[in-house]
Amino acid sequence: MAGYTSRKRTSSVMMALCWAATIFGISWLCLILGALLWNGFAGLGLNVFVLDTPAPNSEGGLRNAIVGSLIMTTLGVSIGTPIGILAGTYMAEYGRYSKLTDYIRFINDILLSAPSIIIGLFVYEVAVVPLRGFSAIAGVLALAVIVIPVVVRTTEDMLLLVPVQLREAASALGLPRSHVVKKVAYRAAKTGLITGVLLAVARASGETAPLLFTVLSSQFFSLDLTKPMANLPVVINYFAGKGYDNWEQLAWTGALLITMAVLVLSISARILSAQKEKK
Amino acid sequence: MTDHTVKAYDQDLAALERTIAEMGGIAEKMMADAIDALTTFNVDLGRAVVASDPQLDALQRDVEQRAVLTIARRQPMAIDLREIIAAIRISGDLERVGDLAKSIAKRSIKIASEPRLPRAIIGLKHMGELAALQMKDVLDAYAQRDVERARSVWARDVELDALEDSVFRDLLTFMLEDPRNISFCAHLLFCSKNIERVGDHATNIAETVFYLVTGSNLPVDRPKGPGHDQDALLRGSVPAPK
Amino acid sequence: MTDMTLNPGASTAAVPGAGLPEKISVRGLKFYYGDNLALKTINLPLYSHKVTAFIGPSGCGKSTLLRVLNRMYDLYPKQRAEGEVLLDGQNILAPGQDINMLRARVGMVFQKPTPFPMTIYDNIAFGIKLYEDLSKSELDGRVEKALRGAALWEEVKDKLGASGLSLSGGQQQRLCIARTVAIKPEVILFDEPCSALDPLSTAKIEELIDELKEHYTIAIVTHNMQQAARVSEYTAFMYLGELVEFNLTTSVFTAPAKKQTQDYITGRFG
Repeated sequence: MAGYTSRKRTSSVMMALCWAATIFGISWLCLILGALLWNGFAGLGLNVFVLDTPAPNSEGGLRNAIVGSLIMTTLGVSIGTPIGILAGTYMAEYGRYSKLTDYIRFINDILLSAPSIIIGLFVYEVAVVPLRGFSAIAGVLALAVIVIPVVVRTTEDMLLLVPVQLREAASALGLPRSHVVKKVAYRAAKTGLITGVLLAVARASGETAPLLFTVLSSQFFSLDLTKPMANLPVVINYFAGKGYDNWEQLAWTGALLITMAVLVLSISARILSAQKEKK
Repeated sequence: MTDHTVKAYDQDLAALERTIAEMGGIAEKMMADAIDALTTFNVDLGRAVVASDPQLDALQRDVEQRAVLTIARRQPMAIDLREIIAAIRISGDLERVGDLAKSIAKRSIKIASEPRLPRAIIGLKHMGELAALQMKDVLDAYAQRDVERARSVWARDVELDALEDSVFRDLLTFMLEDPRNISFCAHLLFCSKNIERVGDHATNIAETVFYLVTGSNLPVDRPKGPGHDQDALLRGSVPAPK
Repeated sequence: MTDMTLNPGASTAAVPGAGLPEKISVRGLKFYYGDNLALKTINLPLYSHKVTAFIGPSGCGKSTLLRVLNRMYDLYPKQRAEGEVLLDGQNILAPGQDINMLRARVGMVFQKPTPFPMTIYDNIAFGIKLYEDLSKSELDGRVEKALRGAALWEEVKDKLGASGLSLSGGQQQRLCIARTVAIKPEVILFDEPCSALDPLSTAKIEELIDELKEHYTIAIVTHNMQQAARVSEYTAFMYLGELVEFNLTTSVFTAPAKKQTQDYITGRFG
């Protein structure tokens, strides 16, 4: 019985430590979110969406940065997603048992966890230097490179979750492999694939480092992909800590917008995958 | 034979086989006692045989009930299925043997009141011995799953039939000699028929044992002795009624 | 134990059913999972318009054999078959064999019901559309015929647009059978089709198999021996990758010729 009592004591001590660690972690998160909401909402207004980035201490908004971010994220995702899905499809459907798939998965995992600044540097070398200048195109490329590994990973995982029996059943009807993948596997994995893309969007929309090296930013509203283009992460990076109150305020607001966008995307992804499980 | 994975199944089958063995013992004894009672005019023994028949009937019901339960519970296949079917069939045959012994015993009580012609009974005694031997052999064959022994019982029934023919002939002769013998001999005629039927049941059991062990059946036609035709005998010995 | 010489009814000297038309003939079939020999020289006929049941303990190779008959194993690397499997006299293991055409002729129903994530109608129309170019009304007719063939029409005719996944397990399995029947195969392979179903659904599937054999040659793998006894005319007992006994079902379940078969079907194994 002595052993039991001491085990019980150890258990409660450990439990208390776990609670403490959790509260410690969560409280920082709450503080960050709290500060963000407090400061961000303070500057939220119509101006943010209709005016462009201002000079220090003058009236302005984030219109050019928001539009730039939307354009580049959309383009980056639309380039990265098909490549990622095709690669993931190869890995899960065609090359499931080949060595090549193992190599691709390994490299993809490295890419997935590589610091994004390296990706920025790489795209700088291959796109910015030859084109002699920062451009939205280079930014789009950098974002695409960030999107690809995320989509590859989720596509492969989601297709692997499609039961083998379903694939066999489709093959047993004499369906060619391409039909099995298109009509059955994709359909069965649909919500999972969408979730993957949403996660990739969330990831891409918050990246600063690769954009710093590729598009830089711009004070002006621009839709020209060959020129630098304003975008939220770099604007935040630039405006924050410069000592001008209005810049500081816009940085907070921009940060709030990105966080909200990512939050909405993540929650949609969650809802989608929850629906999948219910089925 | 390897045991079943489910131990209780083995116990079910073993219980069934034990009950059949018990029935066999009782039927054999009833048969032997009935013949004794008949040949020695022993009324008490005859009554004892009659009294033991209900026991056999109860055992037969027991076998049927167990068999049905086992079929329902275990869905027996192959040897197990044959085992259970055999138990049902053999218990039926043994129950009939008991009935026949009882019938002989009843007649033994009746004729004991006016014992005549002891020499007429000698043939019946032979038949009784042969039938008892057949029963014993076939029950052994069942207990040992001995196909050859079963087959020999099956083939030997013809001897009992032949013996019955000769008893029939003798009894007819006695009746023709002296009409006062008719009632006595008529009882004996029925007894001889009963003993012959016991032989038939022994043959049935032999066929069942063969099926039980091999899964296939003995031929439908059993070897028959020549002239086993009592109608012909009858026609030859007695004038046809006008 | 059973002495063969006393058992003329269950002789294995001659192939039982010899002389009947063979839809599929398996000749000297060996199957490998990598270096692992899973089927050791199998010889076996599947008679036309008969139901042949494959029984045996797990891992005996009965499912493997079934998956050779429509070359399902081709989906996986390192699995290979040697020997011959003749479908109407044509070796389906030959290198030039069009596998999709083969699978259209040799359909398969699996252990777990596998409706596709689409409507009931599409589950069936899907396969037909692949092979035939039909008008909408012709297609409707074929879908209805297939569903009737699988005894499912009455239950689903008012909800053809509902997801195939909304059906019960037994209905899903009949949907899978309808789907298989819809593309007019010649042989249907059932891989433990009732092991995930309740007794009533099982009975319906068995009834269906009984009706299907009029038009198709059927092979069924089952762990349920009573089921094999109920639905099949021929039974093959396999053990450790070998065909131990192939005989009329009536013989196998009343008087098997081999001790191993007897031990297995009476529950005396291991």
